[in-house]
Amino acid sequence: MREDLRAGGRFPDLELPDHTGNPRRLSELAAGDPLFLNFYRGFWCPKEQAFFRRLVRLQEEAEVAYTRFASVSVDPPEIAAAFRAGLDARWTFLSDAQRRYLAELDLLETTDTVHRPYLPASFLLFPDLSIHQVWNGYWFWGRPTNEELRQGFRAITRAIRPDWEVPAR
Amino acid sequence: MSWSWFAFLPEPPTGDEPADALASATTTDPDGRPAGLLAAWQRGRKPLPTAVRVDERVIDPAGAAAWVSLVLVPPQVAPLFDDPAVSQAMRRVLAGPPFAAISTLLRDAVHFAGAITVEHGEEPARLADDPFARLYPARILRVGPGVFGRVAPPAGPAIQRYGGKPWPAAGF
Repeated sequence: MREDLRAGGRFPDLELPDHTGNPRRLSELAAGDPLFLNFYRGFWCPKEQAFFRRLVRLQEEAEVAYTRFASVSVDPPEIAAAFRAGLDARWTFLSDAQRRYLAELDLLETTDTVHRPYLPASFLLFPDLSIHQVWNGYWFWGRPTNEELRQGFRAITRAIRPDWEVPAR
Repeated sequence: MSWSWFAFLPEPPTGDEPADALASATTTDPDGRPAGLLAAWQRGRKPLPTAVRVDERVIDPAGAAAWVSLVLVPPQVAPLFDDPAVSQAMRRVLAGPPFAAISTLLRDAVHFAGAITVEHGEEPARLADDPFARLYPARILRVGPGVFGRVAPPAGPAIQRYGGKPWPAAGF
């Protein structure tokens, strides 16, 4: 993983096609909110399927909490769309089928020479894409639990919302 | 992201276009009969008593002709924007195949006034899947060029409105 992709660094504003083929930027998807960004190997990986089922359970909280998710893989858009639909995920999946950012981010999973996928890595980002926290999910237990994500979203939200402390009359 | 004013005039005044409109076009029903006029204005003074707020991104004066599913809920039966039926319709929008553009409509910061769902194809068949038509019957209309553009699908999973903005416009 690239050296500067750690807490306090700034994540690059990637531009990739989404699961419907529309070009999207991370900053556009964040839209002023905290953003959970995860890179996943592909629809075929059982660890990813289990991890996404976990995220889908969290989306019912995220949908009312002014927070965003985005997920990136080398799956083509139509494959990402089918995976997303099967999971009942309601956030944006991005496709780097051309592997444009694999080398730039140094996120190639070198042990899989068949698929050449992204290393499963997760980032919790501020709206300006600065990095709050990073998880290396090569081993499944390295991935964030939903409770860790709640704690991270709370910390970011407290930092960015000026009315976190309810304004006094 | 902000919002614009938007109105449907079933019986538009003859002659000039609506004053100061950002975009406007006449509409026909699926059988080709005249069915009024759709118009949008920049945010500011409310142009008509019936005008509602729409996500400004769906309005494009250079947009092509389109089919739309227009859900306009009368004020006397309008649910709260936070009504579970409205939330479920937004979830279905996020989960389903994308439309060319979509916006909820707001009469004020509290009530759901309806939704506009846009397709640029030759046929309106996909609009039968408009999730907001479950809340109130939709009008299917053919709209001339110069009103509606294409917008990338809403970024989920957020379904809350931001202040008085119509979903999916984001940002406080």
